[in-house]
Amino acid sequence: MTAVVLDGIVLGLQLGLLGVGLTLVYGLGGVLNLAHGQFAVLGAIVIARMLDASFSLWVAIPVGLVCIGLVGLLIDLTLMRPVYKLRGEERVLLGLLLMLGVGTIIDGLLEWRYPIEALSIRISGDPVPILGVSMRIGGLVGSGIALVAGAALFVFFRFSTFGRATRSVIQDEEGARLCGINPATVRTTIFALSAVLAGLVAIARAMTAPIVVTGGVRLTILALIVAVVGGLGSVSGAFLAGILLGVVSTVSAFYIGSYITSIILLATAAITIVFRPSGLLGHRP
Amino acid sequence: MTAPGQTSRPVGARSPSWQAPSLLRGYAPIGAVALLLALVPIFFQNSPSRMTVIIVGMLFAAYAISFNIIFGSTGQLFLCTGALAGIGGFSSAILSERGVPMLVSIPLGGLLAALVGGLLSWVAVRRSLDTIFTGVVTLAFSLSYDNLVLGRKDLTGGETGLRVGAGSDTILTDQVKPYYVFLALVVAYLVLYRAIQRSHLGWAFRALRDDEVAAELAGVNVARYRVYAGLIGSGMLGIAGALFAHHRGFIGPTTYAFGDVDVRVLVMLTFGGVGSLLGPVLGAIVFTILDEILVGFNQLRIVLYGVTIVALFLGFRRGVIPTLETARSKKRRTPAASTKSAED
Repeated sequence: MTAVVLDGIVLGLQLGLLGVGLTLVYGLGGVLNLAHGQFAVLGAIVIARMLDASFSLWVAIPVGLVCIGLVGLLIDLTLMRPVYKLRGEERVLLGLLLMLGVGTIIDGLLEWRYPIEALSIRISGDPVPILGVSMRIGGLVGSGIALVAGAALFVFFRFSTFGRATRSVIQDEEGARLCGINPATVRTTIFALSAVLAGLVAIARAMTAPIVVTGGVRLTILALIVAVVGGLGSVSGAFLAGILLGVVSTVSAFYIGSYITSIILLATAAITIVFRPSGLLGHRP
Repeated sequence: MTAPGQTSRPVGARSPSWQAPSLLRGYAPIGAVALLLALVPIFFQNSPSRMTVIIVGMLFAAYAISFNIIFGSTGQLFLCTGALAGIGGFSSAILSERGVPMLVSIPLGGLLAALVGGLLSWVAVRRSLDTIFTGVVTLAFSLSYDNLVLGRKDLTGGETGLRVGAGSDTILTDQVKPYYVFLALVVAYLVLYRAIQRSHLGWAFRALRDDEVAAELAGVNVARYRVYAGLIGSGMLGIAGALFAHHRGFIGPTTYAFGDVDVRVLVMLTFGGVGSLLGPVLGAIVFTILDEILVGFNQLRIVLYGVTIVALFLGFRRGVIPTLETARSKKRRTPAASTKSAED
């Protein structure tokens, strides 16, 4: 049982990091990035290709992250421009549909060019005993990455000027504009950052399970569920929801069967929407 | 403002004497399309592979009309078109396997899909007036459906799929006869769509699509009508999916997969025109032909669909049919305006 819960926490930290990227972009600009999982897969495949070309991991990872960040930057500067000109529901709908299109394009291109490519990062080392359970080193390093990224985000949003500017835009775009913050700059930066975070998730996850070309939609949906349960726009909510859902899904997979986990995740999201529409830690009006 | 009692009148029925022509005007396009499509097998009946493609095209037209009721009429972005059709298909196939006659199992499949779709709609619209939750809930449902099909191997056959025997030696086997069955389905769906448009449901749908808050203030129960649309559209998807399962004789996890069904239906509907009567049919025809032309470039077709989504929503959100209609009514208005100025 302890082992199952610990596995759930390892998965949950990955889910949390996955949800954070999605939740930030939605909180800022109202764009629900339906290509978030595909961003992660794209990053993973770039890294996998570089590893195939016998680059070292220390070169491949930064290059992969920069690549996916640039893709995010490019999409924000081109496709998202007309979206931000709209207001309210229309903006949400157009943003969502455009990103669905982008996700489909990435999926199609990757499946066309590299149908059997996959990224799995093996980290050598003996299993480490935690609470009497020996944990594989890969999962621990992956969790470490997620934790460090989460802590970095926390510090960034709490103490840096740009981070505080970002939070102010999430709270009130007009108000932030009146304080001299340019929402467009903040949005573009955070969109690119979110893409990098997606790439980071891919790396952390590749240490426990291979990232395959066709896994994008699945990752996107997991990110959506995490973001909704945690509260759209809330960083700490995403991590909390990630850990909660990670534990719930590993426990249910262990006792019932893996096919049931996504149904339980769906049910969790549905219950959250019905009883607490703003999510666990959401604070939207 | 119109009084509540008047709102239940059909569209265009200004007085009883106008009833017949407006009825004719309302349903004539459907008759014309049905007649044109009925001629298709004459040209292709000797090519079984072509007929297979055409039947799938008709199936997608039926999907797109159903999706149009949900998305076009009430603005709910259901990202589980394939999953709902799959619910109908699999449940109907499984029931038939257990001895339930096809004519009972197909409606039952539709009913199950309707219940699931209505439930999803209810969850998504219950609290807020937000499209975002519909997208999230239905996408998560797509994933659950996928895992269920792959996980419950005892019922669905898992990866290998399920053989559906009930449709063999009936009207659904062969090529030409099932084409007419699917054509009948498409025509029935079009008639239903028009009938809904002309009923009080249609009034409510238009009101809430144009301005949700105003509709709510005018006494339209927005959440309830959204759930109605979810119920009806999902039921239609389920029936279409079930019919296809019995026609094809084999269904697997990819028959109703998200990437194969949802994205295509969205593209077809948007291209033809969201919220228009014949838009879904036009979209299905155009993209079925395009698919056939690009049949050699397997994965690139998916890329093409993605590019089309982006392009359509950026530059051509209205679709072909609404654009044509505006152009025609403009043309009609111009001579009218000129005669008026001449009179002056």
